Amino acid sequence: MTTSTPAPRRRRARRSLFLRALPFLAPALVAYVVFVIAPMVESIRLSFFSWNGFQGVPQEFVGIDNYVKIFTEDPVFWRAFGNSVIWVVLSLIFPLGISLLLAVALNRKLFGRNLFRSVFYIPGVLASIAVANMWRWIYNPNYGIGQSLGKALDLPWLADVQWLGDQNIALYSVFVAFIWQSVGTNMVLFLAGLQGVQKEHLEAARIDGANAWQVFRNVTLPALRPTMVVVTVLTFIGSIKVFDLIVGMTNGGPAQQTQVLALWSYTQSLVNHQYGTGNAIAVVLLVITFAIVIPYMAWNARQEDR
Amino acid sequence: MTTLTAPPARLAASPRRRRRFGSQGSDYARIGLWIALVVTLIIWCLPLVFIIFTSLKTEPQILGEPVFSLPTTPDFGNYAQAVQDGNLWQVGTNSLIIALIKVPVGLAISAAAAFALARIRFRRHRLVLAAIAIGSMVPIQAVIAPLFQIINGAGLLSTDIGVILPYIGFGLPYQTFILYGFFRQIPDELDESARMDGASYFRLFWQIILPLSRPALAALFILDFVATWNEYGMALVLLQDQGSWTVPLAIQGFTSQFTSSYGPINAFTIMTMLPVLIVYLLFQRYFVSGAFAGSVKG
Repeated sequence: MTTSTPAPRRRRARRSLFLRALPFLAPALVAYVVFVIAPMVESIRLSFFSWNGFQGVPQEFVGIDNYVKIFTEDPVFWRAFGNSVIWVVLSLIFPLGISLLLAVALNRKLFGRNLFRSVFYIPGVLASIAVANMWRWIYNPNYGIGQSLGKALDLPWLADVQWLGDQNIALYSVFVAFIWQSVGTNMVLFLAGLQGVQKEHLEAARIDGANAWQVFRNVTLPALRPTMVVVTVLTFIGSIKVFDLIVGMTNGGPAQQTQVLALWSYTQSLVNHQYGTGNAIAVVLLVITFAIVIPYMAWNARQEDR
Repeated sequence: MTTLTAPPARLAASPRRRRRFGSQGSDYARIGLWIALVVTLIIWCLPLVFIIFTSLKTEPQILGEPVFSLPTTPDFGNYAQAVQDGNLWQVGTNSLIIALIKVPVGLAISAAAAFALARIRFRRHRLVLAAIAIGSMVPIQAVIAPLFQIINGAGLLSTDIGVILPYIGFGLPYQTFILYGFFRQIPDELDESARMDGASYFRLFWQIILPLSRPALAALFILDFVATWNEYGMALVLLQDQGSWTVPLAIQGFTSQFTSSYGPINAFTIMTMLPVLIVYLLFQRYFVSGAFAGSVKG
């Protein structure tokens, strides 16, 4: 191939290679630039303007006013920001931990193993909005699970819990639905990763007298590292943009106590017609995402260079 | 490393394969573990069981009995009512049309791009790959307002094409990235001998690379079908007319319109879940191999 040709010719060859690659690349580049990059740039631009979103109405340049406004005058922004942080942190602990436990357990030969795997995975293929509606019924304060259990066990306090109506617990009630939905997907990723654990290493560790925990800690976990990074980043990306579940279960309420960044940005722009602040929130969301994702991409690229 | 090339059945675990893995430890520990798993399994099934029960009860039963009581005389009236009130056939058709256009077209565009990046390898192809791949991380809500303006400006609001195009744009970063990884593993010698025989890039793509990548393409097809069927955030903004609604919008619309018709609401939710459940049960192994790809290539 071109590797043996002298440098100038190779460069020319490579440039003509680009022209020959272009027909294959062009549709993707056009779709990507028009529907992902352009809106992203426009989002950044609009965050410096004041506009109500109606075509024909002039956009007024206001500098960084929108950012000042969301950071200093908008209590809902900080509520949403805090909730997004809580959501991400909890996501990195609970669904991840439970799915790792399940994966390790189901990596063994067990009766009914495939049934276990399928059932845990199924919630992951359902639409989040369907899951949200399911759980809203389960949490129904008058006829839901709390009421039913409370009556059956004669625990009046349980029957009175407002799962989605109580400001202090609503976010966590929604989060339970998220755990239910997301554990299976992570479990399958971990199971895939566990296939890469060398059986010889496990045997060797056992022969050396390591107990189950030591084997897990010193052999399995280090071998799972690449999977762990992938699952962590996917979980981060999935949880920072949580939207459907919140819309379907509480729509940010009660009293904005379950508001999150993605929903607040959407609400400001498209419901309240505050395109300036809405897009400023969108930019904050973008910056947070990229600040985490780009180091990950660098890691991934290094892995490939290996 | 494990990749898509590994037979997908590997994870779906053949019981024949003898594995000493974890077979040490006492039988009591194994039984204990098994019981713990069964308990977790039951907990995981309960939410679905509750809504199925509710969907089979009449309104007085729903309001009078606990959620976990068995519907002794199953009543399918809720389903009939939900099909009618929720316009199930229409929204189902809308969703199906959108998915059946978006998924193959999007996959073809991604595959072509991945081919250019992985097999033609022009200068700076890695940079182009990174620029595309980064798009898979962009939260939809971070660009939804300008996207609304673009689609509205083009007069495509509430049309199939107006939602298919952004879906393709947002789907291709991930697919291109995964397929790039897959195409890279196909030996270069294949290209060289084909090129020596005078095959064009198009023939190389169409007759060699694509057929060899069938497992990866199938997995991405299935995963993307489910994702497209379930998509809510973009559809919410871009499909305003009720006649253009997809299934997730209809679920949400149904719940807000018939707030306290718990029976029909749950019947409707269950019916909208059935297509993806069927796809999942039929093509289970592709979900697993898709996860393989995801776990290795991100």
